[in-house]
Amino acid sequence: MLRDITLGQYFPAESPIHRLDARTKIAGTFLYLISLFLVRSFGGFLIALLFLALCIKVSKVPLSFMLKGLKPVFVIILFTFILNMFMTQGTVLWSWGFLHITKEGVYSAFFMVVRLALLIVGSSLLTLSTKPISLTDGIERLMQPFQRFGLPAHELAMMMSIALRFIPTLLEETDKIMKAQMARGADFESGNLLQRAKSLIPLLVPLFISAFRIAADLAMAMEARCYRGGDNRTRLHRMAFRRGDAVAAATLTIYLLILLLQTYII
Amino acid sequence: MKYTNKEDIIAIEHLRFQYQREEDQETVTAIDDVSFCVERGSFTAIIGRNGSGKSTLAKNINALLLPSGGAVYVNGYDTRKEEHLWDIRQTAGMVFQNPDNQLVSSIVEDDVAFGPENLGIEPEEIRRRVDDSLRRVNMYQHRKKAPHHLSGGQKQRIAIAGVIAMRPQCVVLDEPTAMLDPKGRAQVMDIIEKLHKEGITIVLITHFMDEAARADRIIIMDRGSVVLDGTPQEVFSHGGQLRSLYLDVPFAVEMAERLREEEIDVPEEIIDEQHLAAFLCEADAQSGKETSQEDGGTPQGDRRGEENGRDEAQIDESRAKSEKSPAKSDESEAQDGQRDERYAVEVSHLRHVFNPGLPFESVAVDDVSFRIKKESFAAVIGHTGSGKSTLIQHLNGLLKPALGSVCINASDINSGQIKLKDVRRRVGLVFQYPEYQLFEETVLKDVCYGPLNLGMTQEQAQQKAKRAIELVGLDFEEIKDRSPFALSGGQKRRVAIAGVIAMEPEVLILDEPTAGLDPKSHRDILLMIEKIKRENHITILLVSHNMGDVARLADQVLVMDGGRLWLDAPPQQVFARAEELSEIGLGLPPATGFMLLLQRMGAPVETSALTMQEAFAEIIKWKRGEKRC
Repeated sequence: MLRDITLGQYFPAESPIHRLDARTKIAGTFLYLISLFLVRSFGGFLIALLFLALCIKVSKVPLSFMLKGLKPVFVIILFTFILNMFMTQGTVLWSWGFLHITKEGVYSAFFMVVRLALLIVGSSLLTLSTKPISLTDGIERLMQPFQRFGLPAHELAMMMSIALRFIPTLLEETDKIMKAQMARGADFESGNLLQRAKSLIPLLVPLFISAFRIAADLAMAMEARCYRGGDNRTRLHRMAFRRGDAVAAATLTIYLLILLLQTYII
Repeated sequence: MKYTNKEDIIAIEHLRFQYQREEDQETVTAIDDVSFCVERGSFTAIIGRNGSGKSTLAKNINALLLPSGGAVYVNGYDTRKEEHLWDIRQTAGMVFQNPDNQLVSSIVEDDVAFGPENLGIEPEEIRRRVDDSLRRVNMYQHRKKAPHHLSGGQKQRIAIAGVIAMRPQCVVLDEPTAMLDPKGRAQVMDIIEKLHKEGITIVLITHFMDEAARADRIIIMDRGSVVLDGTPQEVFSHGGQLRSLYLDVPFAVEMAERLREEEIDVPEEIIDEQHLAAFLCEADAQSGKETSQEDGGTPQGDRRGEENGRDEAQIDESRAKSEKSPAKSDESEAQDGQRDERYAVEVSHLRHVFNPGLPFESVAVDDVSFRIKKESFAAVIGHTGSGKSTLIQHLNGLLKPALGSVCINASDINSGQIKLKDVRRRVGLVFQYPEYQLFEETVLKDVCYGPLNLGMTQEQAQQKAKRAIELVGLDFEEIKDRSPFALSGGQKRRVAIAGVIAMEPEVLILDEPTAGLDPKSHRDILLMIEKIKRENHITILLVSHNMGDVARLADQVLVMDGGRLWLDAPPQQVFARAEELSEIGLGLPPATGFMLLLQRMGAPVETSALTMQEAFAEIIKWKRGEKRC
């Protein structure tokens, strides 16, 4: 049933990575992703890969879970590979008609694919090891300094957590309405594109009305519970940097130093 | 008059509330000159039908709405003064009807913390309050769960925990049990009573008289005014007035009234079954020798002329009619190849598995076989999660069985011989809260949606729609061009049901068609279903939690438990098994329950009564006929 779907892709486990403060993980992931763009050789990727492998090992998230994240973007990876392979100018290795494969093309194709894969697996480690709710809390706290420049940090985080809360509710609602309309003879599967788009109206109109009703109800319930924006609001979970966070920061710094050395000096 | 006493936790003085209606910009007066006080630590129930202004009143207590005239004081604070807004909302917490739409966070304990967080309380104190509140509503063990994995009753208890974590002196609950199943209702009512005992003032808005009877004061509202105000005894003694307001009268009160008409002198203060039964048994013991009254013959039937009385008589009558051809449930199972023309529905060895092959695979329905006779009225009962919904979705092909077969009018719907569209036409399925599926600009267009999907011409469809709209009791000319969204709750539901009726199904399945409605709409919808069955000569399958309705209406009852068909029998036989039913989380019709209570107290009565009428006749027989002891 729909209610069994897992939200986000959090993998519950007890590990040093899971215990890290969400801010550390968000900032760390951000830095790691930047580092991938600095890399200019396969040697650099080897370092990045080793670092990521270490993190995955420590996080206790099974590797199969990690690689699952690659599945939906497989087409994009393939596309990148082919595009790079055929479109890069250089020494021709093989050609057929207007298609040619160059030495540089093969190199850059592999290069881009490795970078893309590392980017995806690296960022899914964040979502796999952090509860969605901690993630939004972390984002809120990290964005706080920008609040003085008019960035609605609290509101954005609130919106994200409400969205997380109501995705299952709306999915259930969709399922219900769809079945109700199917019981009235609706057909969502056959017909041409236009007919199919039209057949969605009986689904989308009630769904939007439901969403608005939920929003109105929720707004009233929040008001009744004294919600008045982010000012003077305290939190149940206090965010605190612990020793683990220091260790993580140190490890990350060492990784970055090695990578910079490898890229720019050697 | 004591309503100027601002010492009380809530003081309402000449409250008037008006708003502009969206469609026609007309000014509507939702509350008109209401004054009363609520004492500290009391338990007040506010009752009224839909549109009586009770929810509006509740929102005025919480300063979610502000008075158009008069004033509301909470703990001495005037709700119109903005500087007291947060004090007021903290003093008078509020719980709403829909358990889903009031939880903010995707983790239970974070949700309970939401209120205290808004009040700016220190994290350590929030933690203490969260744990304490969750323990008080018996939900501590679920603190790390996500709301969408909880039942309705559990979610509503989380909502209550979220309110009491703000340490309010008063909790206002706006129909907190309207959307819950009987089990959830019982849990929530127990928590409410517990909080009351702990000293919190309770204001409970409800449709259910049995819930109101647990309060120490009942206020009845109608058309924005207070009509009755007093202890449950005082209020229930105005049975006739309650009926004229289209409200329910508790079973014991109505029974006592009828008995009084037969010169059995039940004291006015008796308003619950327990005391009534005790009184009847005691009176029997005392005046045993003198009860050789005049031979009154058969007990008088329903003499009262109130609408409600007539409604029930009508239902009783139609029940009696259908009993002439009692649909015997067949013990022999439907065998392949031998399709019987007499049956509208034949299900054989049905099994359904959700998420087959996945780690969270679950068997929702297992080895279910039954038959339903043509033009009979069958009911499916079972607690939430017993497989009822899964079962009925097989009957019109929305779900495909993993094993077994489903035959409608002797043809197997999954064999490929019949087109899916044809199955959908033959078997109409009205889901819970069907009004949420309305989508067209006008009522007529919406009702035409089904017939058009079946390939009818515009003209044919409109003809069917007209008939369906009239059959559900709406005025076709008046309503056809209106937007379905501008209708009242009861009307919306009728339009949604018309949308299924217009397809002229041979079997009509209704999943909790009266859920969330007030007593009047509830009765009206049931009468409407009866009428549809009579006029269209169709088979009805009703899914319901209301045992009273099932007992009155059904010829055949299917009892589901844990995905299996636990029993398939006529209502008398089903409800004779009271103890086993309670083991699987099901109750009894009020009449049967009462007769059982009498019998347990030693009265020599049969317990087969299913309706008020039958129970009444049995008691009279006992009282008149017995000369012993």
